[in-house]
Amino acid sequence: MILNTDSMKPIYVQIAEWLEGEILSENIKAEERIYSQYQLAEMFTINPATASKGLNILADQAIVYKKRGLGMFVSPNAKQFILSKRRGQILGQMIKELVMEANRLDVSESELNKMIENVRKENEEET
Amino acid sequence: MGVIQCEDLTKFYGKIKAIDHLSFKIEENKITGLIGRNGSGKTTLLKMIAGYLKPTSGELNVFSGKPFNSLAVSANSIFIDDTMTFPDSLTLSDILTEVAPFYANWNSSLANGLFDYYSFNPQQPHSNLSKGTKSTFNSILGIASRCPLTILDEPTTGMDSAVRKDFYRALLKDYLEYPRTIIISSHLLSEIEELLEDILLINQGAKCLHLSVMELKELAVGIRGNAQVVLSFVEGKEILYQEDFTKGSLYVVIRRNLIEQQFELIKQSGLELFPVSTDDLCIYLTANTKGGIGDVFSRG
Repeated sequence: MILNTDSMKPIYVQIAEWLEGEILSENIKAEERIYSQYQLAEMFTINPATASKGLNILADQAIVYKKRGLGMFVSPNAKQFILSKRRGQILGQMIKELVMEANRLDVSESELNKMIENVRKENEEET
Repeated sequence: MGVIQCEDLTKFYGKIKAIDHLSFKIEENKITGLIGRNGSGKTTLLKMIAGYLKPTSGELNVFSGKPFNSLAVSANSIFIDDTMTFPDSLTLSDILTEVAPFYANWNSSLANGLFDYYSFNPQQPHSNLSKGTKSTFNSILGIASRCPLTILDEPTTGMDSAVRKDFYRALLKDYLEYPRTIIISSHLLSEIEELLEDILLINQGAKCLHLSVMELKELAVGIRGNAQVVLSFVEGKEILYQEDFTKGSLYVVIRRNLIEQQFELIKQSGLELFPVSTDDLCIYLTANTKGGIGDVFSRG
């Protein structure tokens, strides 16, 4: 995985999102141990303090929890939590931006809906 | 525990002030980047920390003692730069053997591993190496010595980008395995910032800022768009950098905390927000000229 150093998103947020992705795709399952800050530091060639901050974002949302002396583990309802969070916040924010851009380009609501429908259709045909 | 503590540290070369009342503290087992423009005093500072130079005034403590003429500091620190010289009678492999007894934590398997990886010729004398390979060889000494205080003064001078990347990875991997206090000075901040925990930025021998890389990355934000709209948002606030983009359009950099509440409003006003790279930010913070290089050409 390549980090985007030019992104508006700080590296630790990218680390947190990458870990969320790993949980969503079930590469790391509930009650399994998640990568330590040192493993993440080595994988991404980043300072362990940055990696630790990424892990703490997940811990603050109870996506992972600490077992004393053993490390961080994925919470039982982590996947469900990430899904609903991403639907609500991230997709919501993207749609907000989409609508703003559409307004700037004078794309009407029905045109925009049509475009979304088309993309969905294309994706369905591909799969 | 602070490995390095300095208070009001000042260094004169004759009448020229190289370090100007500098105070800071570097904690154990952190990787700190020392950043500054050419001639800002980075090397002078590092040489004082390593005990090569004597401060003119002020306090400097390394491992709780004065570093100048200190055996304890010499034994526990290494200073790597591109002007290290070794006797011509020693081959590269001799150097690796001879250096070992001076450093208690010397890891010879790591040294030999890196030496082979970079395909050095063991029989070559050090003085024959090119600029880049000399830096590469010196960096092996810096990593394999595993000194509690490792000082790397522009370690990547002359290295090609493939070697630089290998060096960064090797340094980080060995640091994770064997944590120690590391100071790196470099002009390639964008390349090393992810390795660093803290950044110490100096300008004309004085401290400009000393904070974590994460804080620095979020310190400032760039706003671009219609000049009047941009100015309406930043009016009365300290502008770190300003550039006319095209006619009527302006790019302005200001501290993030001054404007964070207005992000939504700014976006809705059709302005664009940009992250400011640490590299650019350090340039803006240490600029002693107004405007940019472009102004030199647009004069008259």
